[in-house]
Amino acid sequence: MRRLTAAGIAPVAVSLVLVGCSAGPEPGPGPEQAAAPVTTTGGALRAAFAGGSTETLNYLKGPTALDYVRARLVHAPLCELDPSAPEGVAYGVVEQIDVSEDLAQYTLHIRDGVTFTDGTALSAQDVLYSLRAPVLLEGLPFTRLVARSFDLDAATVTDPSTVVLPTLAPVADGRELICQSMLAIKDGTTEFTPQTPSSGPFTIAAFEPGQSTLLERNDDFYGPAPTLDEIALVSIADGTARVNALRQGQVDYVSGLSPAQAQTLEGESEVTVVTSDLPYASYQFFSMNLDVEPFADPRVREAFKLAVNREQIIENVYFGHAFEGNDVPALGFRSYDTTLEQRAYDPDRARELLADAGQEGMSVELTAGPELPGMVETATLLVEDLKAVGVDATLRELAPGQLFADYPAYLALPFKVGYSPPALFEPNYTPGTFPEVDVLVQTARSAPTAQERLEASHAAQRLLWEQGNQIAPVFVPAISAASTAVGGVRELQFPDLSQATVTR
Amino acid sequence: MRVDVWITARVVTAAATLAVLTVIVFWATEVLPGDAVGVLSGPTATDAEREAVRLALGLDRPALERYLEWIGGALRGDLGTSLVSGREVAPLVGARLSTSLAVLVPAVLLIVTLAGTLGTAAGLRHGGRLDRWLSGTTLGLIGTPDFLIATALLVLLTAWWPVLPAVALIPPGQSLWSHPELVVLPAVALALGGFGSTMRLLRASVAQTVTTPFAEFARLNGVRGHRYVWGVVVSNALAPAVMALAVMTAGLLGGAIVVETLFNVPGMGSELTQAVAGRDVPLVQGLSLVLGTMTLLLLLVGDVAAKLLHRHAPATSGGHR
Repeated sequence: MRRLTAAGIAPVAVSLVLVGCSAGPEPGPGPEQAAAPVTTTGGALRAAFAGGSTETLNYLKGPTALDYVRARLVHAPLCELDPSAPEGVAYGVVEQIDVSEDLAQYTLHIRDGVTFTDGTALSAQDVLYSLRAPVLLEGLPFTRLVARSFDLDAATVTDPSTVVLPTLAPVADGRELICQSMLAIKDGTTEFTPQTPSSGPFTIAAFEPGQSTLLERNDDFYGPAPTLDEIALVSIADGTARVNALRQGQVDYVSGLSPAQAQTLEGESEVTVVTSDLPYASYQFFSMNLDVEPFADPRVREAFKLAVNREQIIENVYFGHAFEGNDVPALGFRSYDTTLEQRAYDPDRARELLADAGQEGMSVELTAGPELPGMVETATLLVEDLKAVGVDATLRELAPGQLFADYPAYLALPFKVGYSPPALFEPNYTPGTFPEVDVLVQTARSAPTAQERLEASHAAQRLLWEQGNQIAPVFVPAISAASTAVGGVRELQFPDLSQATVTR
Repeated sequence: MRVDVWITARVVTAAATLAVLTVIVFWATEVLPGDAVGVLSGPTATDAEREAVRLALGLDRPALERYLEWIGGALRGDLGTSLVSGREVAPLVGARLSTSLAVLVPAVLLIVTLAGTLGTAAGLRHGGRLDRWLSGTTLGLIGTPDFLIATALLVLLTAWWPVLPAVALIPPGQSLWSHPELVVLPAVALALGGFGSTMRLLRASVAQTVTTPFAEFARLNGVRGHRYVWGVVVSNALAPAVMALAVMTAGLLGGAIVVETLFNVPGMGSELTQAVAGRDVPLVQGLSLVLGTMTLLLLLVGDVAAKLLHRHAPATSGGHR
């Protein structure tokens, strides 16, 4: 999947997915219009993202959400995550992925009739190159998910429409890995310019990093033809400025709003605010370092989890635009264990546990930074909750971008905030902390039957729920807003504007 | 001291300051906690992946070697490439400087006009009703944070009376210079926030000049009207205001962060804050170096202008010549 980098590209928060502007004029819970206006073909959509001068057409190196949103419009996806589909994915230029019995080999079947803008047909060779590109072109670590589980050097093209991909070790979730963010590029592509051959629904007519991109419809696109003639992706770094631009009608759609900004737009008649649906919400967690003495005691960890008033965070920090977390990741994904009891808010029990552990009045400093909307505010409330159960808690707030900038220093902190974008639990789990969980996750990825895999995954999640070192009070969705004239925006991990419509 | 010798000495001092500045800029980016490796890799990269990013960015080489390479490149106009986007820093900084200037130049012209007329008028009749009213207003403006001035302008001119665009959206391939309608709000916001201090300095200086025996002598000799205001008072009172204007202009070039952010003007200040947050060291260095150079240049011009004004002005109460 595409990872949001921690960069001060803070607005990367943008990226949080904005789900739900379903096609049609009435996305979200807003007042329905009496009669749906007729959607006209053509037209132009102006969409604003945080962007910044770091914008680049090389989406493998692009750190901002806008880079991927644009790339997704210009380069056709191999396939996409679709938690509701039987195989968990929706196919694109790859029309089918078969998995061998032993989970050691994946066979990708390439769709016929897909062409690049230079007129050549997309072949299995192009798909194999697309899979290898993150490594060959030195893409950022978060683009290399496939390379971590598959032996790309040993992959072969067996005929013009088939790629055979061996795994490094048997995995059952390979389809999801391949479909998380892989886009089709032409074999041998080494640089990305507006002229680089592409296969997506739009082509680049003009690009000015940090200012705007003008996209025009690609009439030779193999898939469902876009309605829009043009999309202008504009870069507006500041959230308030994005809201102002939307209010004044300078843009039709804005991404990456803070809960407070969304609150100011709620109730305006010409604007619809949309919060992304699960599973597209970021996992925000507070990590307790097991190497630091008080946190080695599981009673202290449980006390901290019980001390948190999650309802209050959802209401006061997110104005209701957040999902209650249960201290395990991947809420909304298929293997998420919904049978786990929701962690209660129980300050009395927390106080007892701390007393049992001999840690009443313990001191702790929580380090937080504004890497995700509401992160520092959530940390502030958490510190207050801890004080209420007798912990001498303090908050250390970092400047934007500083939290992950010195990663070893970050890891060594005793108590800190972190997040990961919406992603499957098993392939993104970092081993090394709880050996028992490591084994279970391994089983959850490679056991021969789906039932065994699911049971192992649930067992791993239960262990993390009971003994884990992460407090996850909320999952943070992305918030976007659009003029009521806009419809058809698919809010996946990043907003997909390819089927958007504008009624004027 | 002869003026040409003084100017030469001043230029040499500025050059030496610039040399020291390059060391400070480089050192400051070295001690900045964290680096682009952490920022680019994100929270879940493996150690091997982090190390690969570090090698690819060349951050494993000694600091002195990187400093010499940077300064050597800067002398040839090459400021390296951005660690985050991979783009060349020099043209990027050039574009940001041009954008900043597109807002700054009209703002400074506005400041000069406002501060010049109002400061002179208030100073000539210091203690009068206009002076008292202007003193109150400018003190209020000086004390008002940039974001409040900018927000008030936004509410007034984009929400209540929507005559101007709220945000500067520049079409691809064009520059802010060709879109005056996008410049108005940020330039006015900068000018309102900035003209107060220059105006008050000019007013004080004019008020002081008016009371000098020299000015009184001129008045007694029948010098009146424009000749009195320009030839006697303003030319004599201008030097401190010119220096203040130079300092303020230099400050606004890189310090207009709030205004640039709110109006989405991709200028030097907002770029620098983003580059620092992204730990994009070459971009931070390039922007800081250009900002530092521009600041030193502006101060130099201010100093020289003030010196020349002093030289040509008749004696003041201080008796400088």
